[in-house]
Formats: sequence, structure tokens, C-alpha cells
Amino acid sequence: MQDETILYIQNVSKSYPNGVKALQNISLTIPAGMYGLLGPNGAGKSSLMRTLATLQDPDEGSIFFGKIDVLKDKEEVQKTLGYLPQDFGLHPNARAEELLNYFAVMKGIREKQARREVVEALLKQTNLWDVRKQKLGGFSGGMRQRFGVAIAMLGNPKLIIVDEPTAGLDPAERVRFLNLLSEMGENSVVILSTHIVEDVSELCTRMAVINKGQILMETEPLKAIKNLKGRIWRKVVEKNQLPQLEQEHIVLSTKLLGGRTVAHIYSEGFPGNDFEEVVPDLEDVYFNVIAQHSRNNVSPSMQEVAK
Amino acid sequence: MKLWETFRYELAYQSRNVSTWFYSLLLMVLSYFMAAAIFIDEPLAGGYFLNAPFVVAKVCLITFFFMGLLVLAQFAGNAATRDFETRMHPLLYTTALPKSVYLGGRFMAAFALGSMVMLAIPVGVFAATLFPLEHPELVGPLRVAAYLSAYFLLILPNVFFALTFMFAMAVLSKKGILTYLIAIIFWVIAISSWQVIGVQEGNWTLANLTDPIGISKITELKKVWTANEKNTVLPGTQTAVFDNRLIWLALSMGILLVTYVRFTTGTISERKSKKKHLSIPANPISFQLTETVPIPQVQQRFDFSTRLLQLLTVGWESFRIIALGWGWMAMACLFAFVLFTGPMWFSDYHNIPELPVTGNLLGTLENSKDHGIWLVIPLLIIFYAGEFVWRDRDSRQHEIMGVAPVPVWVSFLGKFGGMVLALVIMQLLLMVAGMLVQVSLGYYDFQIPVYLKVLLGIRLADYVLWAVLAFAVHVVLNQKYLAHLVAVMIYLFALFGPEFGIETRLLLYGSDPGWSYSDLRGLDPFMEPWLYFKFYWGAWALFLAILTVLLWPRGTEYSLQNRFQQGIRKNGYLIKAMAGISVLLIVISGGIIFYNTHILYPKTGVFETLEWKAEYETNYGKYRDTQQPSVLKTKLLVEIYPDQKAVDFEGTYTLVNKTGSKIDTIFLSTAPGVSNHLLRFNKPVKAQMVDEALAFRMYILQKPLFPGDSLKMEFRVSYEPQGFPNSGINTYVVKNGTYFGDGWLPTIGYKKAREIYMPQERKDLGLEPKPILDPDMETFEQEWIHFEAVMGTDKGQTAVAPGKLITSWTENGRNYFRYAAEQPIKNKLGFFSSRYQVHQAQWKPDSAPVVDIKILHHPTHTLNNQRMAKSVQASLAFMTQAFGKYPHPELRLTEVPGYNKGLYAYPTTIFFREGFAQLKPDENPGGVDIVFATVAHEVCHQWWGAQVSPAPVKGAALITESLAWFSAMEIIEEARGQKEFYGFIEMARDDYFSPQEREADPLLEASQHSIIYRKGPLALYALREYIGKERLRLGLQNFFNRYSNGTSLPFPKDLYRELQTVTPDSMHYLLHDLLASNTFWELKTENAVASQTPSGKWKVTMDVHARKYTVDKTGTQTDVAMNDWIPIGVYGLPGKPKADEPLYMQQHRIRSGGQRIEVEVTGKPGLAGIDPTRLLMDVERYDNVTKVQGRQKR
Repeated sequence: MQDETILYIQNVSKSYPNGVKALQNISLTIPAGMYGLLGPNGAGKSSLMRTLATLQDPDEGSIFFGKIDVLKDKEEVQKTLGYLPQDFGLHPNARAEELLNYFAVMKGIREKQARREVVEALLKQTNLWDVRKQKLGGFSGGMRQRFGVAIAMLGNPKLIIVDEPTAGLDPAERVRFLNLLSEMGENSVVILSTHIVEDVSELCTRMAVINKGQILMETEPLKAIKNLKGRIWRKVVEKNQLPQLEQEHIVLSTKLLGGRTVAHIYSEGFPGNDFEEVVPDLEDVYFNVIAQHSRNNVSPSMQEVAK
Repeated sequence: MKLWETFRYELAYQSRNVSTWFYSLLLMVLSYFMAAAIFIDEPLAGGYFLNAPFVVAKVCLITFFFMGLLVLAQFAGNAATRDFETRMHPLLYTTALPKSVYLGGRFMAAFALGSMVMLAIPVGVFAATLFPLEHPELVGPLRVAAYLSAYFLLILPNVFFALTFMFAMAVLSKKGILTYLIAIIFWVIAISSWQVIGVQEGNWTLANLTDPIGISKITELKKVWTANEKNTVLPGTQTAVFDNRLIWLALSMGILLVTYVRFTTGTISERKSKKKHLSIPANPISFQLTETVPIPQVQQRFDFSTRLLQLLTVGWESFRIIALGWGWMAMACLFAFVLFTGPMWFSDYHNIPELPVTGNLLGTLENSKDHGIWLVIPLLIIFYAGEFVWRDRDSRQHEIMGVAPVPVWVSFLGKFGGMVLALVIMQLLLMVAGMLVQVSLGYYDFQIPVYLKVLLGIRLADYVLWAVLAFAVHVVLNQKYLAHLVAVMIYLFALFGPEFGIETRLLLYGSDPGWSYSDLRGLDPFMEPWLYFKFYWGAWALFLAILTVLLWPRGTEYSLQNRFQQGIRKNGYLIKAMAGISVLLIVISGGIIFYNTHILYPKTGVFETLEWKAEYETNYGKYRDTQQPSVLKTKLLVEIYPDQKAVDFEGTYTLVNKTGSKIDTIFLSTAPGVSNHLLRFNKPVKAQMVDEALAFRMYILQKPLFPGDSLKMEFRVSYEPQGFPNSGINTYVVKNGTYFGDGWLPTIGYKKAREIYMPQERKDLGLEPKPILDPDMETFEQEWIHFEAVMGTDKGQTAVAPGKLITSWTENGRNYFRYAAEQPIKNKLGFFSSRYQVHQAQWKPDSAPVVDIKILHHPTHTLNNQRMAKSVQASLAFMTQAFGKYPHPELRLTEVPGYNKGLYAYPTTIFFREGFAQLKPDENPGGVDIVFATVAHEVCHQWWGAQVSPAPVKGAALITESLAWFSAMEIIEEARGQKEFYGFIEMARDDYFSPQEREADPLLEASQHSIIYRKGPLALYALREYIGKERLRLGLQNFFNRYSNGTSLPFPKDLYRELQTVTPDSMHYLLHDLLASNTFWELKTENAVASQTPSGKWKVTMDVHARKYTVDKTGTQTDVAMNDWIPIGVYGLPGKPKADEPLYMQQHRIRSGGQRIEVEVTGKPGLAGIDPTRLLMDVERYDNVTKVQGRQKR
């Protein structure tokens, strides 16, 4: 018996006419709760999200949301789907309340009174109540994003897909937005794609790292962090020392701090005196996975040696 | 050189675009076909080359007009707004690129590109010279200058003007699509310049200036230029063309300047940021974490009522987009257009106002081809179909919308419904506009059901069908601008299909065989075929709608294959079943139509094709002049069945051998399309040959018919049309308003009217050339017959045949009428049947029998009854006194359907069209009672035509039409006075001297309308003024008396001879100039000076210039030496009493060239000149007279 609020993704592949393999044999099982999909730009996150949101079809594979076949029975999924695209616009001449009401009708909220209540609640929730009579063309990026959330939350969706939602939000808006999401995640599947690690670390119980169309890692953030314990080291170097450092160690990330470069490296043992151990965070996990994978791809021989 | 870089980049970018070259090819092909096929008839008929400079210029301009503007709109829109639409503008606008460089480079590139692509037009026209299709004989000598001037002087400036306006519009509005609006505006301006200012108002000078494209000038030249000029002169080098180019160049430059000044790269961001300030609340609420608002759990339902609500929501939303966007503007424009131009439509017949009856108003109000502005609605449909299909994607809301649980059919039907609602509102607005026009003209009989039937029935159906196609094109192609273009082309193709050679309307989307409305006839007989066709296209529309639903772009993948697979997967059996049903309906209804148009109709429809006529002539032309018996008496029973649209004839001809020799063979021409059930002679004959296909028979009499012997022929013929044609449904027999001639009856002898008379067509079909005959003139029709008939028709209708109404009765629920002509009538018969009301009057002369006058009319068309009756009375009085009595006791006028102003005189019966009944001659600004005059003219035909009927030769109309108009003029003079008489003459002159080619036959051989109807009476009037009223009257009386007995048919030269007899020898040259040659005078008074003589009189000295010339058929002018008698006149000061009375009026001998004339008058002279009453044919007739200057005393 399949659970009603679990998303099963099996062997999903997709390539575009220009030859780009956007998704390669992806299989994931996503339970209720917040799920983070982390990956660099162009990793295939949006392709996966759009596929899950019924906007495009994979070449192969199957996707089920509970018992609903997402690929075949799109309308059935759509009834319980909330989707916030990565990049979207709104009819510039429509007014906020008007358009939200329009979408409420489209989502099958037929009762006029219920519709009015929902629209009001969502506009208040997303802090757009005061601007409900304004034209959407005049909205700022953040306001537009929040309005998108309002649309996505119409009709109490069980499957919520948000693609890069925090890009373009100011810090306060971002916090607020993430709070909203986590509230929804209590009894829905919420898939959040992002390239910002903090989004995931703060919210998600489970996550996957995706790059070049492949799932590199599927894990729980806390577990992954725990696994890295004692293997992440840092060193403050001058900029010109960096190439040398990269030759000698596996450099996960470099950050500028007060004009100097702080480098994180991965090392199973003590790398040397001038390194200090750091408590790993999700960012290290992420960079480690990406680094590992690109190393593997660059030289298969090394991979074998590592085994 | 940043400008150069911008220019180069832009040009390179655009030339990489495949569509650019596609447009070139399209223009080339189009211009080739226009030159080689579509416009070939004009040079063919006009006798000039297909590569004459005139034709080159014309085809270039027309191709540019139809297609070039659309292509330019695309270029301009792209160049002006591409950055903005691709959202690249923040990058570009923030560079240090000066706007002069940015705009200049873009504009110049667009211009260079446009110029390059338009080069395809003259190339295509030139290709017609190399590959002239069917008419290689029309290729004249190659003149490179023709192409160069057409391109550089006509097309290139046009490209510049159009691009300037389009570019300005697109740059300032940031909307590329608006360039198409400019294209439409150019169309409207050009068409209104040509049609309204030029054709209607006759102000060609102004039309030439206001027309940005030059169509007006070329259509004016078409009328004015002779074939020779068309072959040799370059239209582009006319000064008028230069003036036009200069004005529009100045305007364009101004527009460019405005664009430059108004364009600011920061405009957009500034505007945006302003809004932003407004939209953010004063206290930054977004930073506060307010308490969470509970979101209520709602119930989602997806049952039918929800779908309905969604449908209505989408529909209303879509309607609002149209109603609040450009649609509103378009509706307002069309509304205003109807409101302001509407009243003009009701005074376009010689500027005489007429009643704005709804039926006539609708002819213009519905989307007819005559008014370019009505293209706006189909174009708007295309535009909004594109907007709706692309709306979510254009505002990048498509991903959000794409996951909404709404089936595609809801989105499609909603948007479609919104459009239909907008169209309904549009049509209702037009109805209101129409009613306001009626009110403004003081007319209140609105006939709303007629409005609704036409606007919300017929026309709306067309729009709805069209909207479905527009959606389908946009969805299938999924390329906004390409789809716009393709949809426009499909529309034009459907509209002009027959012109492109596609007759079968099953292939022209949305089309029907046409329809028209008339008060008498209603929409009968057009609605049945119309319904078949609309049902057929409705089935297509259903199919297209299903296709649209299947392929509706949803989600983020748009390849056709992808959408098709998705569509198939997503949609269930219902839609497949519906697709199946729609295909089935297409096949069934298409089959029914095909059966009607291609199988049933040809059986009874008249297909007198050129080939058919040629075969008839080739096979039987040898019998053309074979002696045949004449008809002495015709007896008919005519049963009309209005509901079945059928007529049965039973009849007997009594034939007699009037020739001097025996006749042993009788030729019979039957009518194609009718069934001849019986053809029987009362003497033994052998059917030697019966050719049903060519409708010709040959009977050999066993005993020949000797001179004076007679023979009877019985026949039974039925007309029962089956099926319907693709175009041109005939309206002979209808439920109400039936009118037909004698064309279905058999005739004796070879039928000359079937011969082809166009010289080129004869040549094409390998027929011998022959002199042009008036095709209506048949020997058979010229005979004098005793006539009697019984006519049967539906109860409630009155049937009319020639002769006097003897009795009428009702039998078997039908009305019967017996008519008989006591005196022989000309064998040209007309039959009518309608629910008429009869207006009765009488003419009771002192010395002749009473004539009953009956006007049979539509019950509400009563405006002119009195007037028509008065005209008949006055005409009968005048003609009886001048020429002899009207031979019948009854004269009828019957109304027939149609809003034109036509009348036609049959013996004893004159028909008039409904349009004539609506004229309000009292309000004629020219003061001429046109109704009185035209009826008088038709009554005169009861003498000129019915009593004297001419031999069937070219020029015969001089005897019928010219004489009937001249007599009508004299009737006006006698019955209505001098003022109206002169007004009428001036009206005839305005018509005759309006710009038109001067190459024409002399009156004695003329067949051209303006020569026969206008020059004819004017020439006779001029002669009358020279030789005197009585002498001319005498000449005409002699002519009438000699030929009215019907024994011999006069030729125009017989009239000429009679006129010569009464004309003094010294004036014979004038008679010749007026009637026997195409002569013009150029008379001008250069100045006139007066000085007072010591005796108190005034000496007036005039310098006049005179020239006389003839114009032959090729347009060559030949000067003729003058020594003519021409009146010289001096008038008093204008405004003074008796200013109309000349102080001096004498004939002088005038030579060619300049000369001085001195006359002495008593009284102070005001005006003086040569031929002051403008009797002679002088194109520049207003320079004859000039103001008299006082001489300074030294």
C-alpha cells in the first residue's frame, strides 16, 4: 500500500533536442516534509521540478504521487499541486486580489464565500493585503515572489514544488518565506530546489544533491554533516598560495574574509600544522559531494584507486 | 563609427533570419502573378502592354499595398522593440550608446533591409515580361526606366514613409505589434483617399496628396491616360507624384524628429520605479513577522458547475482584455466611422439624398469588400487570438497557469467565448451606429429584426468561424508573428479566392455563395445555400476547435509532435469521437454541397462559358443571316410558383414569312437550363437536328413556307432550377419580388447575343474578328408582335406582363391575370410578380384616349409615387404632342428588388429598383428632380425604342438612349422650367467631363455609357441651340414618322441624314463634329477689357484662343483647322438684376489660335467670353468666360 503523500520518482531521464541530458536515471522517494534539492546552476533542478509539476514529460521513467500517476493523470495531480516556478511573471495589468481570485476559481474553489476567505487569508499571510488593489506590474521582485507563494498555496496542496524561491528575496522576506514553507510542510510533500545551502540546512529533513542531471547524494542533512565530522579543515592563505594548496589538498571551498582567503579542505587525517579543524556544516557536505563527483568524472583511474 | 557598427550588426542579424528571404520570395511571386495573371485584363482590354510603364507602376504599388506594408511592419517592429521584448534593454540602454546612434542605426538598417526586400517587387513584375503566361503578345519593348522609376520614385519613398511611421509607433509605445496598426491606418488612408476623396468627391488633386502610397494617382491615371500614354509615360515622374512624395517626406521627417526627441532610454525604468514607490507601504511591513494567519481549509470541486464557473471566469477575463485594450479603440473607431461616413452613403447618387432604409444601410454596415475599414474586425480577431494564445507566455505566467487543474477545453472555450462576446457587442454597437445614422437623416423605421438577422446572424457567424480558424492557426504554428501573417494570408485568400482562380467555395474557408437583402425580397433565395455552406464550415470549425484543444500549448514543451502526443494522451474518447463526428459532418455536408454545386446546378444553371459560345458560333454561325419567319403573335400562359422558384410557360408563336422568298428550314434557339417539354409546329416538319448541349435546333418543313404564309409553333417550357452555384445565385424567381425577362422562351433563328464580342477573347478562341455588336440586340426582339398572356402566381401577389390588364381572378388558391396588347408591341417581354400595392393615376388629354398609369410598389415605398405619376403624365403629354400618340391604354411602373437606381423600359411596363424609390429629389442640392427626369426618360423609350427601334448595330443606342434623354430634357424644360433644365444640362456635363479617357467612338458608333447617355443629349442640345428648337424637332419628327411603322429598322446614319436635312449647309460641319467624329474644342478667353465710347456705349475687347481636335481610339489627338461659328457673349455685372440676360450674344467666325474680338454693348459689361453657355465639347469648360476689366483712361 503506497502512502498518499509520498512522491515516488523512478528512473526518470530526459534529454533536450539540443542533446543536453538534463536528467539521467533519477530515482527518489520523497516523504511528507520539507525536501531540499540542492545543486549548482544548470544542474537539472528546474528540469526535475518542471517534470514533477506536470509541465514537461520525461523520456523515460515513472513518477507517482501516492497512487496518482503524475505523468498520465496530470489533472489529478494538479488538483493537489502547488508550484512556484523559478522565473515567472504576472499579468501586469491585473490586480493582486483579482488575479488570486482568478486562480482560486481555476483551482476549483467554487464557493464564493470560501474563495473570498482563502484569498484574504493568503494575501494577509503573504503580507500583500495592503496592496491587494494594486496592479501586479508595479510589484517588486519580493512582492511578486510572495504572490507566487500565495497562488501555490491555494487549495491546500499536498504536493508543493518551489523552484529557487529565495533568489531575489531580501533577508527578512526570505526568513518569512521559509517559515511559511515549513508550516506547509507539516503534512505535505514540499520540494524545495535551491542553490543556497542555508535554505536546506535550516528547513529540510531530507535532501538530495543534483548535478549534471544526476543525483549525487540523497541523505538527511544532519546525518551527512555528522559523517563529515573531523574531515574538514581550514586554512587562511594568501591568494597567490591558492594554486599550490589546490595541488596538495582537496579544496572544497574558498571564502574571502577580511581580505584574506579562507580555504576549506577535505582530509581524512590531520593535514598539517597550519590547518585547523572545523565543525562541518551542510555547505561542506555540498561542496564535498560536488568536488568528489567532479574528481570522479575527471579521472576514472583515481576513482578506482580510491576504491 | 558606432552608427555604422549598429547598422551593420542589425542588418547582419536580420539577414540571417530565414523569414526575411521568405518575404522576398513571397513578394516576387505575388508581383509576378499580379502582372502576368491577375491584372492582365486591363492591358488586354485597354490595348496596352503588360510591361507598359503604367502597368509596372501599378502592379508595384498594388503589391506593395497588399503585402509590402505587412512585411515592413514586421521589420519595423522587430528593429524597434526587439531589445525590449527580449528583455535586453537594460543592458543596452545603460551603455554609453547615444540614442541617435541606437535609433539611427536601427532605423537605417530597417530601411536598408526593407529596400532590399522590396526590390523583389519590380523583379517579379519584370519576370512577367520574361514568362508572360497566357499573353506573350502583350509584351512590349523593354524599358528599364519603367522599373527604375517604379522602384526609386514609388516603392522606395513608400518604404521610407511606412517605416518611419511604424518605427516611431513601435519605439514610442515599446510595442512591436502596433506597427501593424500603422499598416492598417495606411490602408485606410489610401483607400479613403482613393474611394472617398477621389471617386466619390471627384477631388483627385487632394486625393493624390493625402494618399501616402500613391494608389489614388495610379487609379486616376488609369482613367485619364490613353493607351499610348500608358505605354510611354512614366507615372513616377508626374509632378503630382513629386508633390505627394515631398509632402509625405516632410511629414516623415517630422515624425522621425519627434521620435528622436521623445525617445529616452530611461523611460521605462523611471516609470517602473515610480510605481514601485507607490506600491511599497510607508512602513516596511515586510520586515515584521506578523502573526500567522490561519489559512482556511477549503473544499475543491471539479464537477461540471465548477467548469462552467471557470469557463465564465476565463471568458469574462478575455472579454475585458478586448474591451479595455485595443478592441475598445477599434470598436470606437468603427462606431465613429459609421456615424460620420454613414450619412454620405445616402447621397452618393449624383449627390441626391435618399431614405436610409435599413436594408440599404446594412449593405454597407456589414463587412462587405467595398470598404477597406471592415478588414479591421477580421484583423482584430487574428490579433486577439494571438494575444489569448500567448497571453500567459508573454507575461511569463504560463508555468503557474500550466499547473492549474483546468482542462484545455475550458481555457480555449473561455477565451473563444470572450472573443465572441466582444464581437456580439461590436455588432450591437454597429447596429446602434446605424440607427443613429438613420436618426441623423430623419428616418425612424429601424427594422431591428433585419439588423439582428444580418449583423448578429449572418455576419457574426462569419466572424465566429473566422475566430476558430485564427485560434487554430496560432495554436498549430505556435509562432506569434508568423501565425499573424499566415492567418492574414488565409483570410485574403478566402476573400479573393475566386480572383485567384479558385471557384469551388468548398476550398475557401468560411465562404458562401453570397447574399443580399432587399425590402421586397428579404434574404430569399440566398439563405438555403448559405446555411448549407455555414453548416459545412461549422463542421470544419468544430474539427479545428478539437485540433486547437489537442495542440494547445501547455507546460513548457512546444514542439508540435510533443503537443500532439500529450494532447492525444490527455484527451479521452469523447474528443476523439467528436473529431470523428466533425469529419463525418464535413464529408456529409461537403458532399451535399458538392452534389448541389457540381451535379445538380449544372443541369439547370446557365453555364454560357466562352468555349460554349465559341462552339455555338463555330457550328451554327453559318445560319446567322438565313431568312427566317417572323413572329406575328405570341400567346402565353405563365405559371409562377414563387415558393418553388419555378415557372411553367405554355405558349404559341404565330410565325409568318415576311421575306420575299420561301423558307424551308426553321432554326430554333432554346434556352439553356430549362426543360423544353414540347415544341410542336402545326405543319409537318422533320427535326433535322436537335443539339441540346448548344441549345439549337433545326427543323425542315415538309412543304416550304411561301412569302405571306404562316405557321404556328406550340411550346411548353419549364424553369425549375436545381441545386445552387458557388457564386452568383440568381434572383429571378423568389418568394416575393420575382422579375424575369423572356430569356427562357425559345426564339426563332440563330442567336447573335451568344456570340463573343470581346476582340481578345475571340482571338484566344480562334474566332474570326468581327465588329462589335450591341449584344442585346436581336432581330427576334426587334419584331412587332400581338401579345396576350395569362399569368398565374401565388395568392396575394400581383403578376405583371406586357399589355393591358383585362381581367384577374382567383382559381385553386392562385391569382390569375390576363393581359393583352391591343397594338403590336416590340418583342421584348418582362414578367413580374410581387405582393404589390398599386398607386393609380390617369392621363386625360383633350384629344387622345385616356392612359391609365399604375405604379406597383412595395407597400412602404411610397415616397416618389406622386412624382413618378406626374412625370409620366408630363411625358405622355409632351411626346404625344411632339411625335404621336402612346399606343396603349395603360402604362405601368413596377418595383423590383435591388438598391441601385436602375430603371428599364419594356413595352407598356417600366421597372424601377427599390433604390430609385428611396431617392429624395427635393433635397437635391443641384435642384434637379432626378426621379422626374429619369421616369421621363423611360417613358420616352415608349417612343424611342418601343416605336422606333434601331437596327442591331453598334451605335444603335444613339437612337434609343440619346434621343430618349434629349426628349426627357425637353420635357423637363417644358414641365419644370428653364432653371431645372439648365441644372440638368450641367449635371450631364459634370458626368461627361469628369476625368476619363477621351479616346472614344463618335456618337454614331458609340457603345460607351457616358457617350450615349451624356454626350448624346448634350450634342443634340448644342445642335438645337445652333439651328433652333423647331428645326431640330422637325428633323426628329421626320425621323420618327419614317421609322415608327416598324417595317424597317433605322441605322444611326439614318438619323444623321434626317438631321442633316434640317440643318443649314453652313452648320453641316458642326453636325459632323458632334455626331460623326469624336471632336473636342479648346476655347478660352484670355482677357476681356472694356472701355466706354463717347456715345455712352461700351466697347469690349476680348482675346480668345481656340483649338479644335479629334481623338481617335488609340488616343491620338489630331488638330483640325477651325473656321467655326461660335457664340460670343457679354453679360452684365453678376448680382445685378437680369445678369443672366446677355448684353450681347452673336455667332462669330472663329479660327484656330489666338484672336481678338471687339463688340459694342449698351450697359456696363461684367463677364465676357467665347461660347459662354458651354455648348461645345470643351474639357476645360470654365475658362470660356472671364471678368471684364475696365480700361484705365490715359
